[in-house]
Amino acid sequence: MKRVGVFVCHCGTNISGTVDCAQVAEAAKDFPNVEYSIDYKYMCSEPGQEMIKKAIEEHKLNRIVVASCSPRMHEPTFQNCVERAGLNPYYVEMANIREHCSWVHPNEKEGATEKAIDLVRMAVAKAVRNQPLQKTTIPVTDRALVIGGGIAGIQAALDLANAGHVVDIVEREPSIGGKMAQIDKTFPTLDCSACILTPKMVDAAAHPNINLLTYSEIEKVDGFVGNFDVTIRQKARSIKMDVCTGCGICMEKCPVKVDSEFELGLAKRRAIYTPFPQAIPNKPVIDREHCTYFLRGKCGICSKLCPAGAVDYTQQDELLTRRYGAIIVATGFELFDYSVYGEYGYGKYPDVITGLQFERLINASGPTMGKLQRPSDKKEPKNIVIINCVGSRDEAKGKSYCSRTCCMYSAKHASLIRDKIKDSNVYVFYMDMRTPGKGYEEFYDRSREQYGTQYIRGRVSKIYPLNDKLIVRGEDTLLSQPVEVEADLVILATAMVAQPDADKLAQKIGIGYDKDNFYTEAHPKLAPVETHTQGVYLAGACQGPKDIPDSVAQASAAAAKACGLLSKPEILTEPIVTEVDEKTCAGCGTCLLICPYKAIDLKTLTERIAGEIVERKVATVNEGLCQGCGACTVACRSGSIYLKHYTDEQILAEVNALCL
Amino acid sequence: MGTMEQLTLQLRETAREILESKKAAAVIGWEMGTFWYSTAPAILTRPEETERLVWNEYCLNNLAKYLLDFQNTDEKVAIFARGCDYRGINRLIQDKQIDRDKVLIIGLSCPGMKDDKKARELGQNADIPLAKKCEECTYPDALAYDLWVGEPKEAAKPAKAEAKVFPEVESLEQMTADDKYENFAANYEKCLRCYACRNVCPACSCRECIFGNSSKEWSAKANNLSENMFFALTRALHVAGRCIQCGECERICPVNIPIMLLNKKIIQDIDHLFGPYDAGLDPEDKMPLGSFEFTDPEEFM
Amino acid sequence: MSVNEALDQKTPTENLENWQPKILVFACNWCTYAGADLTGLSRLQYPATVRILRVPCSGRVNPQFVIKAFQKGVDAVLVCGCHPGDCHYTTGNYFTRRRFLLMRRLMEYIGMEPERLQASWVSAAEAQKFQQLITEVTEQIRALGPNRKLRDVQWEQWNN
Repeated sequence: MKRVGVFVCHCGTNISGTVDCAQVAEAAKDFPNVEYSIDYKYMCSEPGQEMIKKAIEEHKLNRIVVASCSPRMHEPTFQNCVERAGLNPYYVEMANIREHCSWVHPNEKEGATEKAIDLVRMAVAKAVRNQPLQKTTIPVTDRALVIGGGIAGIQAALDLANAGHVVDIVEREPSIGGKMAQIDKTFPTLDCSACILTPKMVDAAAHPNINLLTYSEIEKVDGFVGNFDVTIRQKARSIKMDVCTGCGICMEKCPVKVDSEFELGLAKRRAIYTPFPQAIPNKPVIDREHCTYFLRGKCGICSKLCPAGAVDYTQQDELLTRRYGAIIVATGFELFDYSVYGEYGYGKYPDVITGLQFERLINASGPTMGKLQRPSDKKEPKNIVIINCVGSRDEAKGKSYCSRTCCMYSAKHASLIRDKIKDSNVYVFYMDMRTPGKGYEEFYDRSREQYGTQYIRGRVSKIYPLNDKLIVRGEDTLLSQPVEVEADLVILATAMVAQPDADKLAQKIGIGYDKDNFYTEAHPKLAPVETHTQGVYLAGACQGPKDIPDSVAQASAAAAKACGLLSKPEILTEPIVTEVDEKTCAGCGTCLLICPYKAIDLKTLTERIAGEIVERKVATVNEGLCQGCGACTVACRSGSIYLKHYTDEQILAEVNALCL
Repeated sequence: MGTMEQLTLQLRETAREILESKKAAAVIGWEMGTFWYSTAPAILTRPEETERLVWNEYCLNNLAKYLLDFQNTDEKVAIFARGCDYRGINRLIQDKQIDRDKVLIIGLSCPGMKDDKKARELGQNADIPLAKKCEECTYPDALAYDLWVGEPKEAAKPAKAEAKVFPEVESLEQMTADDKYENFAANYEKCLRCYACRNVCPACSCRECIFGNSSKEWSAKANNLSENMFFALTRALHVAGRCIQCGECERICPVNIPIMLLNKKIIQDIDHLFGPYDAGLDPEDKMPLGSFEFTDPEEFM
Repeated sequence: MSVNEALDQKTPTENLENWQPKILVFACNWCTYAGADLTGLSRLQYPATVRILRVPCSGRVNPQFVIKAFQKGVDAVLVCGCHPGDCHYTTGNYFTRRRFLLMRRLMEYIGMEPERLQASWVSAAEAQKFQQLITEVTEQIRALGPNRKLRDVQWEQWNN
């Protein structure tokens, strides 16, 4: 027997000033299953809640309808109240007669009262059909996965490890370090990037709680918060990691030379290589695409020379599956390919380089040992042009967003050039200067005042070679005059873009991404490091363009969120999830197409029909993944997948009640 | 006529060979019905039964749905398939009701079938027009098959849907709201709720339909115009983006309700809102209501 | 006698002078329901013609609910959710958009006045939009009068 109690709140005069609460309570007495109905000044107050508890006891009520303010305000209050009286909290239903009624119809007292009665009737009809729901617990595996070993990934891993959690870092390159390892100096302090990064790399490698899985990629992610089963592909390195001492003889004698990815084509590397001298782990890999042994079946020099016998051409990719409680995605960014810009020479002029290439050219450990020279003829450049917003803030050919870091690194580049080549002239073409970080505006001021960088507001319309110079033509929009600079070297501040395969990884993990393939945070303001998939967090530029301080800050925030999850042995899950009626499910799989969380799967059901064992497929919901949106239920023609607390029956009962 | 008779012999030959060599445990085709203008689906399991098979101008039944009879067996089933049967088979594959590797598709080219109701009216010597569903057919041939019967065909070109426009839908759209409703109500006032349209539909493969399942809230007890209309609209919504346009629902309706008018409206809207789409051409394609684009038309206020 | 005339005869006589439309609003919990709350908090007024039914996501709204609502005597249905890109569940409202683009056209096709089934994106901040929306829809439905189409007169007689 369903016995409903209806409690109509006056909310002082907030409700009763417009709605005739006594009349509402009186009307409710006639609704089916209503055993008790009363109005009171403040239902949420201590005496109000006591009143509900007492009525539950005295009238043996088992469904409670509170007509008061928005459930977004006080649903938890009344759920706790009935729970204390021994009822399941999901037996409470609320009728919002304040925000949706008295406050919006103050001049329609009769209409408002009639509406309040309707809303209570709807709530009663639903409450009668409410089922007891239980929050369940799921265990949490105390191990975190960090995808990406750049500064964000390293910082997040160190924070987690220091808090006592075991962390695996998966990095697809042979070494951790990421983009920061390629950078020469960092703004706004101009300290050397390697000097602050490499100690962190060493810390991560040496930390007892951190495992590095370099030259590895994510193959598959299954499971859900607290229990992600991740398959990691460890690519064949062709080196026995436990035997190799990292002496480097193999690399010296390898006969193959190819463009170094780390040096961005400004230098060569061997087929057996470490990306850079401070690489961690400092053990080489063999690039099978270029290695003579793999291409022609002979050579084997590295193997012959290796004193430890660490070279192993027969190694295969290995798949490793581990369970993680939390995942931090820190896969970073790529640079915009500016070859779409005809006005900048389609990427064909050797002395037009990107900002990151410049970092290598000015870096003491770079291909020129830090001597700034132009790639074409190795001459020292005297006139240097820097162009901002190449690919940023350009919806036509590039990206609509601002890449946030370019104004600052261009100011840095200008300062570094003027520092190295005193008689040089540096011109920066910009659209707007954006220097909102701490100490950033001061840094920009210094680049002008102390280093004498010349800033020209305007876009460059064309670069073309003339003799051994590059003529840079643009407009100074502040003076409304055309400008032409005879440059020796042009540096493009190219946009930060998402990794080219960011969408594929997002699909594997089941997180969202925006139109530019940057990963979407759960809420731009209030949940900036969470994703819509519980237990998966974001750090660094994979979520959007960021500089080093912001990436590090976000990494620590993501680590803190992950710590919060991993520090508990189990977590509570919301019971409002979908469930499948296996009896009627035809296993068509349409619901799988709708679910944004990959929470639905097909399973094989074995049953006996007329004495025969028959197998068929039915949908099955992973309660740990389901977030309870119910979009799948509409796609199910036979109504075989339903959302608890919002079933077709419950919603239709409300619709019917509204019409009675 | 001569060629169809010859083809009938080839059909029998093919079916016999399949059953004798045990390439499939059963063959689904057509056999003669009670009248000269009727045929019925035939499910044959023994080689000698294949003599019953026919291929004539009244093979109106879409065969695809008969594959569901074999859902619980592990054996392979052979089925004759024109364009409409082929699309029906793909419908069932996409809805995961049958496995492609359990079906042996024997492709056919269809000349278009004749209207059996007209045949009954006009008699054997009259010139019988094509059935309505065949007049409008855009895919008369099976597009992919394991075997082919008849004139050798060029390898089927990948089919590409085009945005469709149905004149009868357009002329209905021109009517006033009240006239539209009157027309709609007049059609469904007649509905017997016999569910023949559902039973014959290759897109209706639920284990338990919400109409007739008393445990689900949707099923109405009353048989009145309002509930008839709820059934009509719900059925149309359930096959939205999935209807293969075989026209069987309309052909089978005992009270001649123009059921395809609803299906065609939705097909036309899907084509124009979300891009041209023909259901049942490829079981791997994205179903219009199982997918979306960020750039879908924005008509929400 | 036409079907419409027959319906007119069967429809319970209503006093059209005092008649107020009954408008059902499906509101997603995260945007529109919160937006309607904000309308109240901001004390913005709109006619007492709407009844808001809370669903977790506009993607939970089955077009079949709309038919049922018309059968039972609702005069108009409004389906509301988060703006595209703002769905709490990432993609729910994109499915809502497809489903109701088709549903609105289908309902119009069978003779339902298009004003009687509408859809709108209302965010948690758009109190004013919600107020205007309800006011406008109410005006439209008042002008149209009570809905008779799809109505299940039998059900109404049994239950009233």
